[in-house]
Amino acid sequence: MTPPIPPTPAPSPAAEAEKRASFEREALVHLDSLYRVAVRLTGNAAEADDLVQETMLKAYRAWHQFQQGTNAKGWLLTILRHAFINEYRRRTRHPETVDIDAIEPFSVFEEVQDDDPQGTFFDRIVDDEVLRAIDQLPEQFRETVVLSDVEGLSYEEIARIQEVPVGTVKSRLFRARRQLQQKLYDYAVGMGYIKGSPK
Amino acid sequence: MNCRECKEHLYEYLDRELTPAVEQDIRQHLEECPPCGEHFDFEKLFLDFLKARCRAQGASPDLKRRIFNELFGA
Repeated sequence: MTPPIPPTPAPSPAAEAEKRASFEREALVHLDSLYRVAVRLTGNAAEADDLVQETMLKAYRAWHQFQQGTNAKGWLLTILRHAFINEYRRRTRHPETVDIDAIEPFSVFEEVQDDDPQGTFFDRIVDDEVLRAIDQLPEQFRETVVLSDVEGLSYEEIARIQEVPVGTVKSRLFRARRQLQQKLYDYAVGMGYIKGSPK
Repeated sequence: MNCRECKEHLYEYLDRELTPAVEQDIRQHLEECPPCGEHFDFEKLFLDFLKARCRAQGASPDLKRRIFNELFGA
């Protein structure tokens, strides 16, 4: 006869304190990054708050599975992404996005190299306008740009989070950046920050 | 390395995703070719601009409080 399985002992107060300390040190420091990614994915602040809170709860429960010394930011972003896809994507209503395949990869530099090769017109474009342009990108492109250009993740880290080959990350970044440039250039022309004709 | 090859690696170079050898080839080309140099500078400036414009946002103090309370009790 097999002996009865002893109940799992409750973690000692010392172990709990250690768990909390390591979670604060390695996970909670990434709250701002998680929020910035969440708000671009969901398209609104309240949903982003909920998504980040849920991500942190899941992460804390699974903290024993996190390998200390590895990339906590990437691990948290993976949890956030799964939570978004499984629970939020269907109910968030994101503003309509552009059809990125229909866009010529346009190089703004060629348009401005005679008048403003140093791109000083960018300085006059406010934060909200940039965020609006990002929000009009299709989801995968938006996510890739935020992970790379805002959060500074490597191609390899992004590929792991999105579960795609590195080549896909590269091509998404290329097209998303060109699309953003075009959008912001058109805006700058429209506002009279720079001469030129919007495409 | 010619201009076309150099531009093919534009973003990988700016993202520091190339091997040191290729990076060195590009750096050399950029020193010898002012038009490519200007183009790379422009793209670098654009990426810095994107980052600066998007990093102002972060989790609100209220959200931070909510998470702390939920995780560790009030």
